Amino acid sequence: MFSSRDISVAFLVCIAISYPFAVAGADFDVHVKPLLSKYCVKCHGGEEANGDVDFSKISTTEDIDTAFETWESVVRHLRAGTMPPQDQVQPDDEERNRFFEWYQNFVDNVEVQPAVFQSRRLSANEYRNTLRSLFGFDLQVAIIEAEQTIAERSMVLKLLPTDPPGGSGFQNDTHQNPLTTIIWDQYSFLADAALEQLFLRERSTQLEKFTGSESVTEMTSEQAERLLRLFLMRAWRRTVPEADVEQVVSKVRERNGAELLTALKFEMKTVLMSPAFIYRGLLVSGQHGKRQSVDAFELAERLSYFLWADMPDDQLMSLAADKTLADPNVYATQIDRMLASPKSRNLADDFAVQWLALNEIEHVSDNVPQMVALKSQPIDFMHYLFTEDRPLLELINSQTAFISPHTSRLYRGDAAQMTKYVKQKGIEVEIVPNQKIKLEHAVERGGILTMPGVLAMNKGPIQRGTWILERILGQELPEPPADVGQVPPNNSDEHLTFRQRFEQHRSNPSCAVCHDRIDPLGFALQDFDNGGQYVRSANYRAPKRRKRNELSSDATSQIDTSGRLPSGESFADITELKQILSTSQRESVLRNIVEKTMSYALCRRLKIHDRPTVNLIVKQMSETNGTWRDLIHAIANSVAFRETILSADN
Amino acid sequence: MTTRIQRRTMLRGAGALLPLPFLNLMESPAKATEPDAAPKRFLTLFKPNGVHPPSWNISGGSEHDFRMSPLMQPFQKHRNDVLILDNMGDFGFSSHANSTRRFLSGHHANTKAASMDQLIADRIKGDTPHRSLELTTEGLFPNQIGCSYISYDENGAPIPRESDPQLIFDRLFRNPLASPAHRRRMSSILDRVLEDARSLSRTAGSEDRQTLDEYLSVVRESEKRLQNMQQAEPSVDVSRFARPANAANLDQQVESMLDMIELALWTDSTRCVTYMLGNSNSRMIFDFLGVTEQHHYLSHFFRNFSRTNLESLLKISLWHMEKFDSLLTRLKSRREGNGTLLDNTVVLYGSGMGHSDNHTVTRIPIILAGGKGMLKTGRYVRYSENQQLGRLHISLLEKFGIDVDTFANSEEPLPGLNGSDFKPYQERAFASWIKVEGTQITVQGRIRMSDNLDEAKVFFVDVEGQPPVRVEVAFRDFHNFNLAYHCGTGITLTGTGSTEGGQHIISKVNELKSVHGRKPGTQNG
Repeated sequence: MFSSRDISVAFLVCIAISYPFAVAGADFDVHVKPLLSKYCVKCHGGEEANGDVDFSKISTTEDIDTAFETWESVVRHLRAGTMPPQDQVQPDDEERNRFFEWYQNFVDNVEVQPAVFQSRRLSANEYRNTLRSLFGFDLQVAIIEAEQTIAERSMVLKLLPTDPPGGSGFQNDTHQNPLTTIIWDQYSFLADAALEQLFLRERSTQLEKFTGSESVTEMTSEQAERLLRLFLMRAWRRTVPEADVEQVVSKVRERNGAELLTALKFEMKTVLMSPAFIYRGLLVSGQHGKRQSVDAFELAERLSYFLWADMPDDQLMSLAADKTLADPNVYATQIDRMLASPKSRNLADDFAVQWLALNEIEHVSDNVPQMVALKSQPIDFMHYLFTEDRPLLELINSQTAFISPHTSRLYRGDAAQMTKYVKQKGIEVEIVPNQKIKLEHAVERGGILTMPGVLAMNKGPIQRGTWILERILGQELPEPPADVGQVPPNNSDEHLTFRQRFEQHRSNPSCAVCHDRIDPLGFALQDFDNGGQYVRSANYRAPKRRKRNELSSDATSQIDTSGRLPSGESFADITELKQILSTSQRESVLRNIVEKTMSYALCRRLKIHDRPTVNLIVKQMSETNGTWRDLIHAIANSVAFRETILSADN
Repeated sequence: MTTRIQRRTMLRGAGALLPLPFLNLMESPAKATEPDAAPKRFLTLFKPNGVHPPSWNISGGSEHDFRMSPLMQPFQKHRNDVLILDNMGDFGFSSHANSTRRFLSGHHANTKAASMDQLIADRIKGDTPHRSLELTTEGLFPNQIGCSYISYDENGAPIPRESDPQLIFDRLFRNPLASPAHRRRMSSILDRVLEDARSLSRTAGSEDRQTLDEYLSVVRESEKRLQNMQQAEPSVDVSRFARPANAANLDQQVESMLDMIELALWTDSTRCVTYMLGNSNSRMIFDFLGVTEQHHYLSHFFRNFSRTNLESLLKISLWHMEKFDSLLTRLKSRREGNGTLLDNTVVLYGSGMGHSDNHTVTRIPIILAGGKGMLKTGRYVRYSENQQLGRLHISLLEKFGIDVDTFANSEEPLPGLNGSDFKPYQERAFASWIKVEGTQITVQGRIRMSDNLDEAKVFFVDVEGQPPVRVEVAFRDFHNFNLAYHCGTGITLTGTGSTEGGQHIISKVNELKSVHGRKPGTQNG
């Protein structure tokens, strides 16, 4: 569905730049539309279109353009023979080729373009980090975090509503997440709380950073003025025209004592409540109606909100101010510096957690130290990949793992590499940080797919297969039909494994469309039980009966992990599947990595104009076995990141 | 109300920014003439992890003639303002979570209804800005979520707790509702940002203009809401209250919260407060008391016995009692009408369990305070039989004008709170004796825990005219035969042991029977 905003953007683009798809549109009517009507619209059309794909609605060139991901999916299905379903009339080779030709022509005509600039509100995470960097301290909730308890320590995250994921799937895509009076009240409350703290004696260091180094026992109006100038620039994340600054600082001039403080706090609060603080990009400069490089401060912000989810620091601000940030050497050095900063932890804590749905691990155990141990493994691992220049494909398999005494049993002999943990007297159970180890014995644990927490949050082959398909291979699946029912148990005279019974259960061709893709991936992980333990390990402990999922648990000797992907590759077990994902399927994995990272970096859903960029980066990464650092540099240097189109003036 | 105006005048008279906690102690000039029309309040303070019974229980004594126990010493000075209830609770054992639910809900199975504090809040809230406050100190315990809540809504769902005194302060006294000054300030902020956003709007492109329109409509909406809030002058000039400082440790955090409770009740911002000093199985570490072990670990003082551990546990328990003292002192320091704030507040202090190692729910700590005219304080009321907590709740609900036939599984009110007749505990005479056959010793007498803190695992059975029989058994026997439940009562105990120099020592329990037929084991809750 289009919002009026989408249409107006498309409209503006039409006017501002030459639109390349008119040709594709004419071809579409002649070559593609009849095919769709003949083979697809019966199921994918009208009110109850299957899988949220409705071909009957696509008619204008904008529709064709917006549906570019659907065309990619059509190509994939036609090549794999998964659509139309086998019990339906099939297109012949000439018809298939006609579609492929049209698609190739469509893709070849896409031109790289930046997106039309859109301001957006800071996400709760970004607001928390920005407020902390601006003031120099975090607003924390007073609560005792005893062992085995959980508490939200951030006042900002406690008070602000959780952001829904935007069109990109990430929470930093706040374009459709409007300001409300509730959020306004919380902003006001948080601004008061931060200002209250800043003027406390124990915060004098932070205050002096604004006023200059003199001690501030009784603030002078000169100090207040200096404070306001700096505060305004940092809060708005750019140099502010002198006329605007003057308007603000004039309010504290020639005042003193309590009157000065009141006026100062009032001005600071209006800055914190101003749209320029709570939104990104409202003050961006440039020529309207034109494609251009983003201004230096916007570039600094794009980098810092991508890598840190935080405002630019002083170094970035001064490079932006003297216009040297865009210099290629300076720019590259800054990216490396930012990746090395502790703030880059946000990539793992925020980006990776959302991408890989790692918050699901919180439902695995009520025992907090155990849950934290399971959740921190993939997060520490992703942080390692992001910041230590590791190849992108180490996501699939790696020799490095992060373990703690709570998870060490699952790593057999490798646990010996850990420094011994001694629990202090009188502590029943506690959170213990992970240690980095090299996998020598428990090699089946390498990479994200076979981490205990990831396996435990996805129970059974179907959830696991779906997760790999969506999160690792980047394919979208429709919701399963509501009436699928349960896999039946064996009759008294049957001795079928769960997998055999499941295959009977889903033998209907319409199930095959998705399950041919899901099942081989999911069943490859059947060597791991629902708790994430490796059942072939000598120290395997079978879970208590009531915790076992009867339907999916077979005797170890009966487990069949072999499979064949729709693209043809066969494998015996997860180790071979990982091998396939890193070789013949590497482009799919890399494409997904590039797309996910780029949508997070741009805080928006990717558009057709980003396609050539994605393709190019995927190619580069595949050819060079690129690292996360390489990818981050490539994205930060892309047209979409460096340039913008400012919409025309009204 | 006249009393309110006087309060404000007095506050203004007190001068500059008022420090907490010693806000002020003022005589009410209305004392002689004004009838006391002050509102009634209800306040609960919950103590985690039960108690060490020999340090908590009152030995002997009667309603008016009793000695407060070692753990009660911190609030000894409030003796005339407290009503100590004994023989409360009627379960052999209980989980932490069940004992927590029972504290204000009467029974652990009462999971679909409001806890009694919420019923009271509904009745007494009047036109106060905050219907009730549910407060705590510690994070959530997901493994047994019930350990973290005492207050439940009308569906029996837990009510979120607040732990931050600054946040409470800001909500109570910094919101635009709290004073005309705050309203005026918010109003000028809105004016200013509106003006700024409008000028920004003039230079913005069409996309940004949509964002700004969204922003402006929220600001205008906020202005409208502020105008609708225009109401009568509040009773107290809250702008002079000092915001609590950042807490460096648990003690400061709790002291600040007690400040907030005192202010909230006194300014009539709310009339109902529940406050948990920790989860009922609190894992907190009291490092500011020099204790490095978790409270829950220490509270299992039988299994984790050492003299040092026990002393650490008692330090923590004494600190809990000091907070109760601190609360009562605050409420008394506030003059209201002819009396004090405490006079108009019913305070319920207590824990979910008695013996903290085997979770016995008998003789649980329950103390009422204040509530002049509703409670008759200065007494020790020990009931003849173990009492359901639900009976106490029925009685307290009645005090606030709420008539219920039943509450949880209880059907009768608890007598004696206002001095009415109740059936007091009486020592019942029974024959005591010792019978020895080889290594088998049978003794009938009254069982008690050793008074010696070095012997927290030792029990004695007192027999008339003979040295007491020493019972020194493993945790298994202590727990399976529930020695803690029978403490203070007559039992017949058969065990294996030895006799050295006339001192019988039982090291294994084979059978235990209550002389009066009390059976704890069937009441596992």
